[in-house]
Parts: sequence; C-alpha cells; structure tokens
Amino acid sequence: MPLRLVDRTKPLPWGGFFVATISLAAALAVCALLLTWQGKPGLHGVWLLVDGGFLHGYALEDAVRKAIPIFLCSLGVALCFRMKLWNIGAEGQFALGAVGATAVALRFGHWPAWAVLPCMCLAGAAAGALWALGPALLKRRLGVNEIITTLMANYIGVLVLQYLVYGAWKDPVSFGFPMTELFSDAAQVGLLPGSRIHYGLLYCVAAGLGFWWWISRTRLGFELVVSGENSRAARFAHMPYGMLICLAMGGCGALAGVAGFLEASASVHRLQPSIMVGYGFTAVVVAWLGRLRVPAIAAFSFLLAGFRVGVENLQIELQAPAAMAGVLEGTILMAVLSGQLLNHRRLVWISRRTTP
Amino acid sequence: MATHIRIEGVSKSFGMQQANRDVSLDIRAGRILALLGENGAGKSTLMSILAGTLAPDSGRILVDGQPLPPGNPAASLGAGIGMVHQHFLLMDQLRVSQNVCLGLPGAFWLSPRRMAALVRDVSSRFGLEVDPDARIAALSMGERQRVEILKLLARDCNALIFDEPTAVLTPGEAAILADALCGMVTQGKAVVFISHKLPEIMALAARAPVDVAVLRQGEVVARYDLTTDTPAEGELIRAMVGREVDLAQVERLAAAPHVLGEEVLVCRNLQVPGLQGVSLGVRKGEIVALAGVAGNGQKPLVEVLAGVQPPQGGEVRLLGQPWHAFYSGEEPGRGLVVIPEDRRGAATAGNLDLLDNYLLTTRRRYTRGGLIDRRQALDDLRQIIDDFNVRPPVPTTPGGRLSGGNLQKLVLGREFSREPGMVVAEQPAQGLDVGATEDVWRRLLAMRARAGVLLVTSDLTEALLLADRVLVLYAGRIMGEVRRGISSLETEEARGKIGRWMAGLD
Repeated sequence: MPLRLVDRTKPLPWGGFFVATISLAAALAVCALLLTWQGKPGLHGVWLLVDGGFLHGYALEDAVRKAIPIFLCSLGVALCFRMKLWNIGAEGQFALGAVGATAVALRFGHWPAWAVLPCMCLAGAAAGALWALGPALLKRRLGVNEIITTLMANYIGVLVLQYLVYGAWKDPVSFGFPMTELFSDAAQVGLLPGSRIHYGLLYCVAAGLGFWWWISRTRLGFELVVSGENSRAARFAHMPYGMLICLAMGGCGALAGVAGFLEASASVHRLQPSIMVGYGFTAVVVAWLGRLRVPAIAAFSFLLAGFRVGVENLQIELQAPAAMAGVLEGTILMAVLSGQLLNHRRLVWISRRTTP
Repeated sequence: MATHIRIEGVSKSFGMQQANRDVSLDIRAGRILALLGENGAGKSTLMSILAGTLAPDSGRILVDGQPLPPGNPAASLGAGIGMVHQHFLLMDQLRVSQNVCLGLPGAFWLSPRRMAALVRDVSSRFGLEVDPDARIAALSMGERQRVEILKLLARDCNALIFDEPTAVLTPGEAAILADALCGMVTQGKAVVFISHKLPEIMALAARAPVDVAVLRQGEVVARYDLTTDTPAEGELIRAMVGREVDLAQVERLAAAPHVLGEEVLVCRNLQVPGLQGVSLGVRKGEIVALAGVAGNGQKPLVEVLAGVQPPQGGEVRLLGQPWHAFYSGEEPGRGLVVIPEDRRGAATAGNLDLLDNYLLTTRRRYTRGGLIDRRQALDDLRQIIDDFNVRPPVPTTPGGRLSGGNLQKLVLGREFSREPGMVVAEQPAQGLDVGATEDVWRRLLAMRARAGVLLVTSDLTEALLLADRVLVLYAGRIMGEVRRGISSLETEEARGKIGRWMAGLD
C-alpha cells in the first residue's frame, strides 16, 4: 500500500471545520452521482436541495421546525452515547411522549393553557422516560444488549401509538382517518410572534443550557462522563454505574418524549401516525456527529433538518424518491466519520522501497 | 554472519517531551548491550525505533552499513532485529508451535509435525525448553517468554531486544533466562537487555561480554565495557539518577518503632475466581507486603478490596465493617484508598484533564448540593502537582498525555490526600524514577501513623525494605509469611524463602 495513515502529534488547527466542510461536500457529491445515475441532473439536484432547504425564509422556518424535535432527541441520545450506551430507541420514546401528552390533552383539554401545557409536557417526558427505562433495567439487571431492546421497543412504541389512534382515541368525525380530534386551543403550543416557528424553540434553548450545565457542573454529570470515558475507573471510584445507566436512558426518554409532545401539540395539534417520520433515527446520526457538544448538536440538527426540507423540494422538482433524505443522512454520517480520521492523522504517500 | 548494528544520532520527541536526544550506540554480535536507565529515560523509545514501531525525528540506524528504513517493523524484522515485549504478543488458544510459525515467511503450507520439529530444533539449539504442543494458556509466564524468544529465533533474528524481561519472572525463571541469553551470545547473536536492576546486569557480566550504556533523560550519559571496566554499583546508580541515593534512610524509617492499632483489614478464607481461600489481616500502623509474581491472584484480591467485585465465599472486613456494609450507603468505601497497578485503566481516564482525573475519587469532598466546586479542587490539585512534582504541571493536560510515572504521582497525591484508614497499594513505585520511588516509600511509611497498608508487589526489595511482614501469594493461595529480619543474614534467608514460595515451592 503506497498510501499510509500517519499519526499527527497535534490535531490540525481548524481541522474540525475543514473536515466537516469537505465531508459535507463529499456527501453532496455522492448524492449528485446517485441522482445522475437515476437520469436526473445531479448538480442541479444538489442546488435544489440546498436552495430548498436553506436559502429562503420559509425554508429556514421549516428547517427550524424540523430541527426542534431532532435537537431534543439528539441531546438525549448524546447523553446515552456519552456513557457508551447505544440507545437507538429515541423514535419509540418520541412516540410514547406524544401518546402521554395526548392522553392529558384529551382528558384535560378544558383546563387553561398554563395548567394543561405543563402537564402535557410532564406526561410526555414521563411516558418517554418510562419507555426507555425498560431497556435500561433489562441491561442493568440481566445484561441484555440495549441496542436490540431499544430498537425493538421502537416498533412496539409506534404500534402503541397506532393502536390508540386507530381505536380508542379516534376522532369520531375524522371520516375514518387514523387521528385524534383536534386539541383544544389551550392544549396547543403556540407560535412565536411573527413567525411559523413554535415555542418549542424555547424548550430547546432551555434543554440545551440545562444539559450543558448538568454535564459540566453537577457531580452526577461528572460521574456520567467518567463512566463513559472509563467504566473500570468509574467502578474503582465507586460511581453508581447502574443508577447512571437508568439516568442516562431515562433522561434520553424524557427529552425524546418532550419532542413527541411538541410535535403533536405544536405541529399537527393532534395525535396521528404521520408524526412518526424518523426524527428519532436522525437523532442517532446527529448525536454521533455532535458528541456531547451542545452547539455541535444544534448545528447538525439544523443541517439535517434543512436537508429534510430540501429533499421535499427535490421530490417536487425532480420527482426524486423521498428516501433521498435517508441516503443523504447516511452519506453525511459516513463522510464526516471518515473525515474525522484525518483530524489526528494524515495521509502520506510512501514510495516503494526494497527491504534489505 | 556477524551483525553489527549502529544507531547514529537518533533523536525523538513527543510534543514537548524529548525522549531521545542524539543517541549513538553500537550493538555487536556476540555481546550483550545492557541499556540501563530509570523509567522514562528513553530506553523503550529507543528500542521501539530500532524495532521499527516508531520512526526517529532525526538520525538513522545502520545494519552492517546499510541504512534501515525508519518506522517499518517489517524491515527491522527482515534485517534480523526482533523485540521481546514486556507484554507478550501471543494467541492464548493456539499451541506453542502455531504461535512460533504464525506469519513465518515462506510457511504458507506447513504441517503440524514440521511446525513442531522446527520449534524443537530451535529450542534445543538455544536451550529454551518448551513443549511445542502445549497451548499458551497453560504456560507459565517464563515459558511464554521462551515462546516469544523462539518466535524471533525461528525468524533467524540476529539481534534480540529484551524489554525488562525479568519483571514478570520468578527468581528461578530469571536464572533460566540468563542461561539462555548467554547461550545466544556464544552462538553469535547480539542481545540488548533493558533493565534498571543492577544486580542482574552484574550477574550477566560475569558470564558473557557485556557493554553497558546508561540513559538519562533521553541521552547516553555513560558507557562501560564490563570486560575491562569495573564500575562500582554506586557509580552506575549515580549515572542513572544523576545524584546519590541512600536507601539506608528509608530503611531506618521503616525500622523505627511504631505502634500497632486495631485490625483494619481481615480476610478469612476469601474465595473468588482466581483466589483459593486467602486469609490475611492488616492492622493500623503496619505495612503488610503481599509478594508474588503478577498473575497469581493479585488482580481479584485487589478488586475485592476495592469494592469492584464482591467476595463469593469467606469473610472480608474492612475498617471493622463487613464487605457489603462497607461498600453500600451514601459514601461507599469511605476511608479505604486503592492505588491500582493499572493506573491508565483503573485509576485515571485518558481523555479527561488532570483536574477531572483528580476529581475522580475526591469528587465528594468538593460537592455542595450536588454541584462540584471545581475552583477549590483546582487549588488543591495545584498543591499536589507541586508536592509530587507532576510533569507537565498543567491541570488542563489530558491524563493520557502524562507518562506512566507522572500519572502515578498524580494518583498517589490524590489518594494520599484522602486521609485513609486503610491503603491498598499495588506496585506503587512501578514506573517511577529513583527519587520519586524513595519519596513514595517514605510517604507509605508515614501512612502507618494513621492507616494500615497492604502493599501488593512483585518487587522483593520493596517488600523487604518497607514491610513488617511479607506474605507470598502463589496460584491464589498464601504460601507463607516472613517477618522483617533485623540482620542482613535474616534478610538473605527471607529472600531465599520468598523466592521459593513465589515459584510455588515449599
């Protein structure tokens, strides 16, 4: 092999920025190639993607709306990833959060907004957290691999949601469509004045700040970080490892649950299966890319949300398949991860030598 | 063919740390080059450059006049340079012959019988007895080392590098190794022997031509040809350390009268996988050494005492409390500190900075209402960095960037600051330079005023110097106990007894 990776003694200055930019360009290039392969204009497609996702006011608003649930789920997933818990169950926790919030909205919709909205938020968080605690306890007590259990719980969670909207909670005047009745005005999270962005953005700001503060200031946050960095050292230091597993998983479930609450209450104002568009899976990609850095998680959430919006544009203009969004997410993840390799290493060309 | 390897002006630095500075050495066939130096003096770096696992920043290596391509392990091996690492690189589930022949050039088809024959041939030629059909998992450390050596000899290596080969051996096994080394040298091989134990080198010099090069802070500071020079031991130590070292003072401290208090550790018939009914006790005010070759049950014992795994049978009492009570409640393990041997794996986290590593075990002290007061912790950390001379003295350095010795100083400073009633110290001085070792020993002795100390060590000198009693652990059992001798005769006798016990002989 004439090409070889050599360790750098110091990471590249500004390396993270360059690597991310170049990786992104590479991922878009792959998408252009895929479009060309389908007989569509590749470069124009990439332009439509970027244009439709980021270059108009309404596109940006849409991107932010989609970024809100992705960001909340990603924070939770990042919490687990930081502890080396491979929780990919944000999707199911998101579904249960929406279900929990809806239960409150349907039962107590006549309450004033200041009473019903906090209850919905708490119910969503609690339902999501409980959904995540199942796999957490299975791992803690029986050592069951959390990747399998959280993945499986996703399908069950979505089916629970469908069971309710197809059955007990179906709106009698929905002409058979699977959806609950519209939430009362009090049970709807409103829009920020003068925009189409809902107050969920403030939930994100609060969650982001709280997350950062908890990780960097509290003892439990410190113990969580240490347990992820070196679980053996954590055990030697008598850190409550089992409890931290439940905490990280439960925290993730609560954050995803709040995202589910916001999506039901603020975006569609009711519970319906169409809210399940894979934000919980996108969150896995975002969490992996952003690690535990809140600003990075926010940036990647916005980026991937924008591409989701852009892909809609692509669908309309070029009749590209909707799966392009997933393809794009996957290629970005792979490109950035392979790019990160170069942060601490460099490629060198080694000329062939004869060994003595 | 008589090989002649010349290292010319090799320099290597890691970030700010200069590991080797303009080192020039000759390695000649039929001779042993003993590379002496403290840990961190740059011996291992230099040898890794020779073996091709590291590339030098400048300088070159000539093998019979031919320059060796830098940073290319295959080329080094091809040039006949092989290294026996401290941590063996063997497949536990494979047989000896399979391990030896693994990756052997030109051995695409090789029948088990021919593999065994090859191993038998090489091992009889160099007096390295080992059963070619045995599985590695069933072998002792000494036998595994022989397999490592056979791997190199089967590849016709002419220069063999041994990185502190006796660290994992019993005294008996070390003697067998010395025989084998002398045998290799008489058959024209060149041997590089890395060590910081002087007596070993003196013993080799009596039987084979030995060159000595002393490394200090990356530079060669002294060279001797022991066939003609006879440097005094003190002179060599001075060259290694750069100053006089006087163990007599530590010895006096250890022998000073001290009062024994209540029992702080009691094990009765302790059973876990790897331990077969261990009973021992430590009282406040004494140091009890648990001697033994690594891998004889030290790890499970330390893990039980550290609260990492529960005892499965027998009784353990720590600071007067049963194990389960001691390791539960609001502050589990309070009053007991552990200094694990595996400082990178068990005592620190490489990606966290020194402050977070300091907080690892002291975090409760700085917690108010669930929040950690990092500012106060930083003040205390700076004090410890000063006291223990941790390099670099920068609290934001990631722990993984520190050398083993400096990391250990941080761990020691951290643990000693916790005002323990019981100390479990596993190989506390390993990887420290002579000055720091002396300092640690003195601090351990000072600990007797407030705590009982269990010193788990494979270094007999350390055990006999510090401990009031020495217990020997072999195959998960306590082989016997020796009390500190008053006279040197008693010490010699104890040394012999312990050596036999460490090898499993009664």
